[in-house]
Amino acid sequence: MTGRFRARLRYVLRTTGTGLRASPLTALVATFTIALALLLMGSFVLLIANMEQILDRFGEEFRISAYLEDGLAPAELELLRTRVSAAPGVERVDLVSKEQALERFRASQIGRAALLDGLDANPLPASLELVLAPTHRNRESLDRLAAALDGLPGITDLGYGSDWVEGYARAVELVRGIAAGIGGVLVIATLLIVTNTIRLALVTRSDEVAILRLVGASRVFIAVPYLLEGAVQGLLGGLIGLIFLFGCFHMLLPLFAGSLELVLGQVAPAFLPLRTCLLLAASGAGLGAFGSAAALAQGRLSS
Amino acid sequence: MSRNGATRAGAGALVRLFHVSKSYLAGSWALRDVSLELAKGEFVFLTGPSGAGKTTLMRMIFADEQPSEGQIIVLGRNVGRLGPGAVPSLRRRIGVVFQDFKLLPRRTVEENVALALDVIGAPARERRARVFAMLKRVGLQHRRYHYPLSLSGGEQQRVAIARALVNEPEILLADEPTGNLDPELTLEIMDLIADAAARGTAVFVATHDLALVERYGRRALRLEGGELVEDVIVRRPAP
Repeated sequence: MTGRFRARLRYVLRTTGTGLRASPLTALVATFTIALALLLMGSFVLLIANMEQILDRFGEEFRISAYLEDGLAPAELELLRTRVSAAPGVERVDLVSKEQALERFRASQIGRAALLDGLDANPLPASLELVLAPTHRNRESLDRLAAALDGLPGITDLGYGSDWVEGYARAVELVRGIAAGIGGVLVIATLLIVTNTIRLALVTRSDEVAILRLVGASRVFIAVPYLLEGAVQGLLGGLIGLIFLFGCFHMLLPLFAGSLELVLGQVAPAFLPLRTCLLLAASGAGLGAFGSAAALAQGRLSS
Repeated sequence: MSRNGATRAGAGALVRLFHVSKSYLAGSWALRDVSLELAKGEFVFLTGPSGAGKTTLMRMIFADEQPSEGQIIVLGRNVGRLGPGAVPSLRRRIGVVFQDFKLLPRRTVEENVALALDVIGAPARERRARVFAMLKRVGLQHRRYHYPLSLSGGEQQRVAIARALVNEPEILLADEPTGNLDPELTLEIMDLIADAAARGTAVFVATHDLALVERYGRRALRLEGGELVEDVIVRRPAP
């Protein structure tokens, strides 16, 4: 690191610190504006993430049953299973034996299970249950897969519930559409709020920029401390927003536990994964830096 | 007083204006057909009433304004053809002092003076030594950790001069540097500026204080209504 680079780095860090300390109220307002904006954004991401999680769990039931001929040799069964696993869109293949099929049927016929006691032999066939990958959980993929399986030696019939397949696909599309629409509006609103807050903060310091220009500061030299200041405020805002979100999630969840269980069944709501949290905090920093850049460009402070 | 030529500096001039005009509104001229030269180490007063074009002329020399007509050559660079990236490097070779000091109130005296060195990325040790030497030269080394607003007007202007000179500029522009100061402080500030000229910096001082011009007895240019109407050497009155 050369002496000049070190000197410039020291200047940038010192100026960033001075800038943040110089007008603490403005810095606080900018930080909490970003925190609020990211709290809203985070709440929305949390809602969408949980809805997707619920849909994913339902999607686990998104499967085709390939009913098998009686008396398939283990080698034939293994070969068939390998071929079926290789079909496009198949995430997992589970073998359901004749005994398991009967057991399931018996469990589903509560109160009428005694009817089955009269049977001499198990009439139900063994089957391969194909779970589809999340990206293939739609009608087209299902039809393509059914066509690929139809007529394979050892498979006598295929079964899948087509009614709820349509409903599931529509629900996924709806959730994603809402996510894209509201998410887009939220991103634009957040950008506008953050940019304007930081612009107001910078306008109060336009004299400083004019003096820097006077002593021969380049645009980059002027802009970097402001961008860094915006990024620091954004990062802090992002972290504060996440902490609020985490607090609200854990405080409010027990209050609605009963109603949620009724709606969601066994699917427990979960907080955002660490990667998404880091991404949100980083987007806070990015938003702050972008806000500063936009404010500098709008005010032509560094021209 | 004696008449003087506008091209007296010759080939070694640091600033040259060739038939420079500046207009902000059609048909109205802030400057009109001004030609002049400023040589190394020369100390020149720019006089004239308010609105004569003194500040416009100064601003064009440090590339804050572009001429509408004519050419300005500063330190070998044509100001009218400078790209935005070249303006900062030109300004680093020019010190500028204003009537209203233009100091950063939230930075100490030392930090204000060091700003000109921060811009060129001067290493910490060099920065500290040069700032201290400069503050000593203007008699403010004991005030280096103070903030500008805690200083008197004269002290603030000395800080501004220290900032303008710390980078050893080839040209010093001072626009009404004593306009806000009482007579005693005025002489203090002007002595510092004259000292810079004695050390080889070309100095251009805009003022409407003719007594000051007579006291220092240097070359004086007079602007009226945007036109250069006089370029003379003013003789110092006998003591």
